[in-house]
Amino acid sequence: MLRNALLGAIAIGLLLTPPLFSQASKEPAPDFNKAREETVQTLQSLVRIDTSNPPGNETKVAEFLKSVLDKEGIASEIVAMEPARGNLIARIKGNGKKKPLLIMGHEDVVPVERDKWTVEPFAGLIKDGYLYGRGSRDDKSCVAAMLQVFLMIRRQKLALDRDIIFLAEASEETGGPAGIGYVVEKHWPKIEAEFALNEGGGTHIRDGKVDYVGVQTAEKTPRGIKLLAHGFSGHGSVPRMDNPVIHLAAALDKVGNYQPPLRLNETTRVFFQRLAKVSPPDEAFIFSHLEDPAMGPIVQETLRRSKNRTLLMYNSMLRTSISPNVIKGGFKENVIPAEAEALLDVRLAPGDDREQVMAELRRIIADPSVEVLPHDWAGMPVSPVARLDSEMYRAIEKAQAAVFPAAITLPQMGTGATDSALIRSKGVQSYGVGVPATDQDAEGTHGNDERVSTEAMGQFVEFLYRAVTDVAAAH
Amino acid sequence: MRNVLSAIAILAGLLFPIRLAAQAGPDFRKAQEEAVQTLQSLVRIDTSNPPGNESKVAEYLKSILDKEGISSEIIAMEPGRGNLIARIKGNGKKKPLLLMGHEDVVGVERDKWTIDPFAATIKDGYVYGRGALDDKSGVTANFEVFRLINRLKVPLDRDIVFLAEAGEEGGPPVGINFLIEKHWPKIECEFAVNEGGDTFIKNGKVQYVAVATTEKIPDGMRLVAHGTSGHGSMPRLDNAIVHLAAAVAKLGEYQPPMRLNETTRAFFTRLAKVSPPDEAFLFTHLEDSVVGPMAQETLRHTNVMYNSMLRTSISPNIIKGGFRSNVIPADAEVTLDIRALPDEDMEKFVAELRRVINDPAIEIVRGGRDRPSPPPPPLTSEMFRAFEKAQAAVFPDAVTLPEMVTGATDSAQLRAKGVEAYGVGSPTSEEDNNRMHGNDERLQIEGLGKFVEYLYRAVVDVAAAR
Repeated sequence: MLRNALLGAIAIGLLLTPPLFSQASKEPAPDFNKAREETVQTLQSLVRIDTSNPPGNETKVAEFLKSVLDKEGIASEIVAMEPARGNLIARIKGNGKKKPLLIMGHEDVVPVERDKWTVEPFAGLIKDGYLYGRGSRDDKSCVAAMLQVFLMIRRQKLALDRDIIFLAEASEETGGPAGIGYVVEKHWPKIEAEFALNEGGGTHIRDGKVDYVGVQTAEKTPRGIKLLAHGFSGHGSVPRMDNPVIHLAAALDKVGNYQPPLRLNETTRVFFQRLAKVSPPDEAFIFSHLEDPAMGPIVQETLRRSKNRTLLMYNSMLRTSISPNVIKGGFKENVIPAEAEALLDVRLAPGDDREQVMAELRRIIADPSVEVLPHDWAGMPVSPVARLDSEMYRAIEKAQAAVFPAAITLPQMGTGATDSALIRSKGVQSYGVGVPATDQDAEGTHGNDERVSTEAMGQFVEFLYRAVTDVAAAH
Repeated sequence: MRNVLSAIAILAGLLFPIRLAAQAGPDFRKAQEEAVQTLQSLVRIDTSNPPGNESKVAEYLKSILDKEGISSEIIAMEPGRGNLIARIKGNGKKKPLLLMGHEDVVGVERDKWTIDPFAATIKDGYVYGRGALDDKSGVTANFEVFRLINRLKVPLDRDIVFLAEAGEEGGPPVGINFLIEKHWPKIECEFAVNEGGDTFIKNGKVQYVAVATTEKIPDGMRLVAHGTSGHGSMPRLDNAIVHLAAAVAKLGEYQPPMRLNETTRAFFTRLAKVSPPDEAFLFTHLEDSVVGPMAQETLRHTNVMYNSMLRTSISPNIIKGGFRSNVIPADAEVTLDIRALPDEDMEKFVAELRRVINDPAIEIVRGGRDRPSPPPPPLTSEMFRAFEKAQAAVFPDAVTLPEMVTGATDSAQLRAKGVEAYGVGSPTSEEDNNRMHGNDERLQIEGLGKFVEYLYRAVVDVAAAR
């Protein structure tokens, strides 16, 4: 039944595709094969520049990009809060009928645990159709693809109704002030835009085919919480009932088993409804019964207990999430410490707030020796939701229909934080996109042996090119 | 009851001068003054370990012994880490007695002290400073007794060896292990008197004199939780920190079974005799089949020290996991400070921990015992009886209790060499004990004087020629 429906969808997709191609063929048709090769080369060059943050050293990437743009005759500017933390900005002018489109990515990467990699993380090695290396996905794949689209539009001398701005920004991975915060505060007119395309979406490959293009229109808000347990110091040979390590552990045991209530919103409700349509029957059942009074709790628990990263991400989309990620206490093996603490990574679902989560945790922990305190992320704004009926969103849907005709477009709420939150709070309709990836590919993000499929890079460039020209070209 | 006790105290007070005069014994008043001066001098030498620098103390002691005409020797495995050894010869009828203490002290958290930790300030009848109790009080009292015996030329059936050792508080084996391995003939003995006992002051009076005859065995281990690394925005049920927390929470609830041995059974039985009725009831009903569990649970909450004497103990003291607030770490671990009863079967104990934790994600990594576990001497031994007699003379209202030390001392190594090693201590209140390894460490001066007298009597009793 479902399979038949899917085949029907594919047939419709095929029927719809020819007119789109004929429309595109009015322009000098870009050679997407060549574009893929060029993008992969750019991506290799970017991966070979180690921009592990800390310390970042993003200026090296900014200068590389500038040299590429210089050769193409495109003026660009590096703006930096600190000399080594450069952000690169370039612009192709349009006729000014509409407000600009910003295409952006970040230059820095998270560090590697070198001994856990089986390949050199900064070599840009290509093997079996994959480009390996730190940043090959997050986020140099975006920087390379956005740059490619930018260069193609320039080379074709496309007439534009709106300026296209290319931004490669610093310091995304630590949320430090040298990146988007600095650019928004000090150079806002240089990147001010109506729409933005950024990282954050998930183009998902299942069984060798893209089944959906996730477009991130909303994101959860990170707000850390610290648990601080107090006790009395003493000698380890004489155990104490008020040992703060034990009290902290008991609190974390409770917090680790606690699930905040389900909170679906417009984006996530549409996401799961549409996802059900392209999913195998067992998963489809889960996605379509999340709010079912009888089955809801069971299917939610199934998601929660999954070991699959994608399903765990879906679980996090359902509610405010809490993950204890750092714990520390004690300094000498025979001394009972006076304090111990844990940091909880809390991602608020839209509508929840930290005070309310803290109050709930206090109630659950029910231990006066454990303090529940706010911890960091204070500067991260709550992200407004980008619209699903905008010109940009429709252009993305059309590009998906052309490049991934068997798939569907899903609006997504990101579980992580991206710099879209900051520009959305400045009024920009920002959409997160991403290079096609399998569940296994996605494991490499912030992990080991990070990689990207070179074929997927080619598709991503075509997809982006279509969406960008659709929304920016002169009509 | 109280009237009877004070009557005895008065009687004892009246009897003392007569007995002392008859024996032409030392002037314990002067001895107390001298001991306080020694203690002050020792506290003023900063021997925080690391680094130790114990040679400074060894040289100071040597300079005094030189003046008294007692030859001594400083032996060091590493420069700066000197151990001092001196000997007063006896007639050799019996094997030697060793008086030992350690020169080094633990470091201070300077900002938490209200007075200079190395000034040896005297205030309200106390000497304040790091080491005032642990263990420069021990070194001082041993040293004073050693000098008194030398000055009074007490004829001896056995040599008395004085040892001030380095490196007791941790670090490389520059102290007792080095001496036993390389210089054993210089300290070989039948009896040893060391730190580790507890002469306990309750409501201003010495309630009991606990003499350590055995000790628990430190056996550290780690629990390591393994999970899957990931991004903190997507929680995982196999989060290593959550699994570790659940395991630690279970261990926090878990009490290993109580098991008394000859030492601890005698300790609680005798302690009951000098305790108020409600406490006495607890001490005498620990093994009672009906109220035992309740009595144990009460002790667990009200007296952590006694509770630790009842069973192998577990204290999770270091916990760590994770490196970034938004990354789920692949593992997390906790260090358990385990103090095993001397006869504990650790294989079975670990199996029991595994059963209690009941989580395949938790690995138990054993650290291995680093101390031997010989059986305690009988309570009928000559040295123990000498301590009982000294207590009856100096602290007549108290009792002597054989004690199993919950911590670890260097007596363990000596016991492994066949020495009957005993732990004693200058009188302290619970408040004083809490400052050990802590802040504003202090020693009661009057108690130190009593302690010198007590030690002198016990040592002379066991070593003097008959």
